[in-house]
Amino acid sequence: MSLADWIVLVVTLLSIVAYGLYKSRTSRNLDGYFLSNRSMPWGLVLLSIMGTQASAITFLSAPGQAYTDGMRFVQYYFGIPLAMVVISIFFVPIFHRLRVYTAYEYLEQRFDGKTRTLTSLLFFLQRGLSTGISVFAPSIILSSLLGWDIIWTNLFMGGLLIIYTMSGGAKAVAYTQQIQLFIVFTGMFLAAYMVVKMLPADVGFADALQVGGKLGKLNIISTGFTEKGFNWSDQYNLLSGIIGGFFLALSYFGTDQSQVGRYLTAKSLKESRMGLLMNGIVKVPMQFLILLIGVLVFTFYQFNNAPIFFNEVQLKKLEASDYKDSLKIVQGHYAAVAVNKQQAVRDYTMARHDGEEDKETASLASLQSLQKESDSLRKKVVYWLNKKVPGGDGNDTNYIFLRFVVDHLPVGLVGLLIAIIFLASWGSIAAAINSLASCSMVDFHRRFTKKKDSGEDEYRLSKWYTLGWGVFCIIVAMFTYNIGNSLIEAVNILGSLFYGVILGVFLVAFFFKKITNSNPVFWGAILAQIMVLFVFILTKVGVFQMGFLWLNPIGAFGVVGFTLLLDQLFRRKLEARG
Amino acid sequence: MKESDNEKAPFFKSWNSWYVLVIGFLFLLIILFYLITKRFA
Repeated sequence: MSLADWIVLVVTLLSIVAYGLYKSRTSRNLDGYFLSNRSMPWGLVLLSIMGTQASAITFLSAPGQAYTDGMRFVQYYFGIPLAMVVISIFFVPIFHRLRVYTAYEYLEQRFDGKTRTLTSLLFFLQRGLSTGISVFAPSIILSSLLGWDIIWTNLFMGGLLIIYTMSGGAKAVAYTQQIQLFIVFTGMFLAAYMVVKMLPADVGFADALQVGGKLGKLNIISTGFTEKGFNWSDQYNLLSGIIGGFFLALSYFGTDQSQVGRYLTAKSLKESRMGLLMNGIVKVPMQFLILLIGVLVFTFYQFNNAPIFFNEVQLKKLEASDYKDSLKIVQGHYAAVAVNKQQAVRDYTMARHDGEEDKETASLASLQSLQKESDSLRKKVVYWLNKKVPGGDGNDTNYIFLRFVVDHLPVGLVGLLIAIIFLASWGSIAAAINSLASCSMVDFHRRFTKKKDSGEDEYRLSKWYTLGWGVFCIIVAMFTYNIGNSLIEAVNILGSLFYGVILGVFLVAFFFKKITNSNPVFWGAILAQIMVLFVFILTKVGVFQMGFLWLNPIGAFGVVGFTLLLDQLFRRKLEARG
Repeated sequence: MKESDNEKAPFFKSWNSWYVLVIGFLFLLIILFYLITKRFA
């Protein structure tokens, strides 16, 4: 990175920390620290919800996903608008009426203390670990790409934000998220503009879409049905997006304290609902545009030489293995195909402009055939890295966009895009450690300590809990070192392992008013959790194949089913006792 | 129960209109995406 890039990066990051500290002043009690005195307008709630969900990986992974697999990944988000509606109708009014600090507090009022403790613990396990991974995942990418020391990168990724999160709690988190998102969207827009600008002079945005589309990258909607029926292992299709995505979003936005804590800061029920519903409107188009950047980058590489594999650290591993000679041959072949591809894509766009249909058809056929050849050569490298090289990782999705940024964007913009990675991470990590601290304080400390603390004491202790969780997440990030970037997917899988069960408990609480005995739902949740883990293990050992999104409805319906069954058993037992 | 000013839906008479808008917008997006997919398939 050049000096100008370093200046942009450092100034941007320090400005955010300073702004967070400036906005830190709040009343010195739990209402002020965790709920911003319930004073936020819906616009800030919306940005806070978006900033919490969108991590660095959202901005790194999505363009790479579009580059490799096309835009069908957007279907993963189709469940969100539906979930926003359900949460606005059923969840938010209850949380507001009871004036809870955490979602799990409601469960004690509805069932009992042990059900509250169980769901809070599941939240700790899931959110604590996944936040640690959220620190590590962007750090390892930056560290590999820029040669930075991973320990220092982890410390900056997870450490600086603790300063303002600890100082200002939910208010500082919300205000910094607002600025962070503004910078992130500005940077992404500039990057998209630059990709189109760097295309050959006679190739415009419409041509770029045409090329990307004709090479299969605008495959936005897929049904998941093949000649053999529905493909359950297909992660991203209309059905899994709407059903699986709905349950995942319902669990995440409705029961994960990192999100519940955002809309509880709203000054009224109306402001909470508006924040959530607007999120339902803007989220899918936003993801669509981020994915579109990936398609533009793909088109850019049709006119320019693309690396055969975007993670250089892994490529070096391959160069040092027994496959180095094979790699050289494949790379030579790949470069030759790239030259032919560049000619074919130029012929194609020229024929389109001139309206020469025959030439257009012929050059497109040639381009598509060359792209297939190029893909098969890339697949060889991926296969060697996955199967033949010890410690190899054939997934370079998260490196594609950043590698493009570092290799091709002008000085200054590179620094801004690197800053975006930090800011996007900070937004979600800050909200996560704020919510972990609120659960520690409200769901455990307040209940299990005999000493009655004053509001000021609780405020001070909450700051220490924030610091504690921040340090915990950095430690998790340090221990995840060297396990590989497949951990990025692990964040989503980790969520799906626990979210469904937590959601199931809330579904029973909201919709099965007849169930008043807490034991059926408590044991139902434990049985459903065991079932989800068992199903997951079966998919891992290859007994059957299933996309991880389906674990969410399995967990939720599992809790409901087991609870209804156990409730009947408990009732019969009571009746038998007379 | 009468809704307080803090609970009334802005711009529309009821929250149901907002819910229809959010789901309708998703439906329109899916149709638009389907048409784009078909156009380039």
